[in-house]
Amino acid sequence: MEDVISQGLIVGILATGIRLATPFLLAALGEMFTQRSGVYNLGIEGIMLMGAFMGFFVTWRTGNPYLGILVSLVVGALMGLLMGIVSITFKAEQGISGIGLYMFGWGLSGLLFRLYVGAITAIEGLRPLRIPGLSDIPYIGTIFFSHNWLVYLAYILVPITWIVLYKTTWGLKVRAVGTTPEAADTLGVSVDGIRYQCLILGSMLAGLAGAYLTVGQANMYADYITAGRGFIAVALVYFGRWSPLGILAGSLLFSMADSFQLWVQVLGISVPYELAVILPYVITIVALAVSFGRVWAPAALGRPYERGTRG
Amino acid sequence: MKEWKKILTILVAVTFLATLAACGGKPATETKKEGETKQPEKIRIALVLPSTVDDMAWSQSMYEGLKAVQEKLGKDKVEIAVSERLGDAVNAGAAIRQYASQGYDIVIAHGAQYQSVLREIAADFPKTTFAYGTGFQTAPNIFAYDPQAQEGGYLLGILAAKMTKSGIVGIVGPVESGDAIKYNNGFQQGVAAAKPDVKVRIAYTGSFNNIVGAGELAKVHMDAGADILTGSSQQAVGAIRAVAERSGKYWLSTDMDQSSIAPNTVLAAQVYHWEKVVEKMVSLRKQGVLGGQHLMLSFADGTLELKYNPKLADKIPQEAKDAVEKARQQIVSGSLKIELPKEQPKK
Repeated sequence: MEDVISQGLIVGILATGIRLATPFLLAALGEMFTQRSGVYNLGIEGIMLMGAFMGFFVTWRTGNPYLGILVSLVVGALMGLLMGIVSITFKAEQGISGIGLYMFGWGLSGLLFRLYVGAITAIEGLRPLRIPGLSDIPYIGTIFFSHNWLVYLAYILVPITWIVLYKTTWGLKVRAVGTTPEAADTLGVSVDGIRYQCLILGSMLAGLAGAYLTVGQANMYADYITAGRGFIAVALVYFGRWSPLGILAGSLLFSMADSFQLWVQVLGISVPYELAVILPYVITIVALAVSFGRVWAPAALGRPYERGTRG
Repeated sequence: MKEWKKILTILVAVTFLATLAACGGKPATETKKEGETKQPEKIRIALVLPSTVDDMAWSQSMYEGLKAVQEKLGKDKVEIAVSERLGDAVNAGAAIRQYASQGYDIVIAHGAQYQSVLREIAADFPKTTFAYGTGFQTAPNIFAYDPQAQEGGYLLGILAAKMTKSGIVGIVGPVESGDAIKYNNGFQQGVAAAKPDVKVRIAYTGSFNNIVGAGELAKVHMDAGADILTGSSQQAVGAIRAVAERSGKYWLSTDMDQSSIAPNTVLAAQVYHWEKVVEKMVSLRKQGVLGGQHLMLSFADGTLELKYNPKLADKIPQEAKDAVEKARQQIVSGSLKIELPKEQPKK
């Protein structure tokens, strides 16, 4: 600890944690919609990799990170569409097709990188966006308002997705399709239509989460840059009980624990590093195990809908 | 409609498979197999890598070494095949076995994690030469190569101690094993030898390829006061990029010269000259020695080298360069030995 004042330490831990939670939040909020409609997409990691690559690639070529982010959204949508064709239209086993999508995304992003970039290259990504007034508040400004706008967007999406899911007709349809698709179908809601919309929306957010890694965090691309973050995002949806606030809590818990262990290691507090590294996972598992109530999942999760059968 | 669906399914499946084949397989095969007509003097070398040939670190340095050997001995004399992304030793085992049964003369599994799987396979192919590293345990047909990474670590440690203004130096470590332990330990000793009051802080990401995580760790190091940073493995590129974003902070590289990623940030690098190691294995094999040797990479035999980034040469005071050079000569002459803690390099 020596020379670092504890206030600075706490600010450091919190500011780092806020930033680290961003890709999890973006991807998990998207996956929440997908799963709420009854489809689980394990291909998030692959979509993130493609979003990460395209975000990087377009930014590198055009010098415009906004264009890169836009393209990553489009690529995410396309991969969501592909997943939809396989798992909704053709009713393939969702777990398997999701893993297929992951491998597809990893393979394709690596291949495109080799063909069109060739060597690890740095880009000018997003700069931190200072918010007049807010960014100048001592401590609070550094913790919450010293980041780039994708970070703010991820947190703003929490209340927005909550409103969309619980207060709009579309959100009601999503929830209906995910729990009792036959009832929704009877009432004239297109089950497959809603599922396609959710899958594409979720995949766009996964693409955005990938772009955040390359354009907003690392400012470069290298093979397998996601390093498992897509799978953690899927786990956080379960942790968060398919609700935006739960996902926010899970993402923050995981990322704050991660940030904490990084600072503990750097400041040389003598803990075996193996223990430090697993801390975020352990805390998340423990929180999940001791948290009250039984786990609730969308009833039709993972089951393709076929008219005339009991879902 | 049914027909259309069927065609689309097949199309999707084919796209999946094609991509997998293109990427999971051997994208970097340099020379096509020329049927069964094998020229007797042609040597076939297979390389199994934990990451990719363009990772700008561990894997790329070996790949470039292999390419240099091919260039030197002639493309018609050396055939190269590469399998990437096989960090998992069990999956790598399948590739290693396949290369051996396809009649490759030398199969290099580039990582410490392949040691045990290699021992198993090597016993079944007594005529094939296998190699791996970082390691030292050999078998009659297994070479173990072993970069003395602590030597360059020591030299870069001296440089870091001389260059730091904040008195804090940060190491972005991958996993506490093999090469990283040696490098980090040498680095700490170098710093301590040059300026005992400079603090060295070590932290690990717990992974070799967590590029974003390495970048975040580097940011935390810098937030906590470090102004000179270093670290090994392929994830280091993420840390270098993070360091490059702040002014007055510098990075010291190992494995290969990484200054192309951040020309204004990488001060110097310990470079591994794998081509000399590969060449040695090839010539030993020609003499009938299939393995059993512990091949060191060191400053003394030129397989390790210290390179300054010419663009930043004027940032380093002459006095620092002299101190590094003096230590380098002592290491080469053998009068200075960088000892590692007793339990190293044993696992």
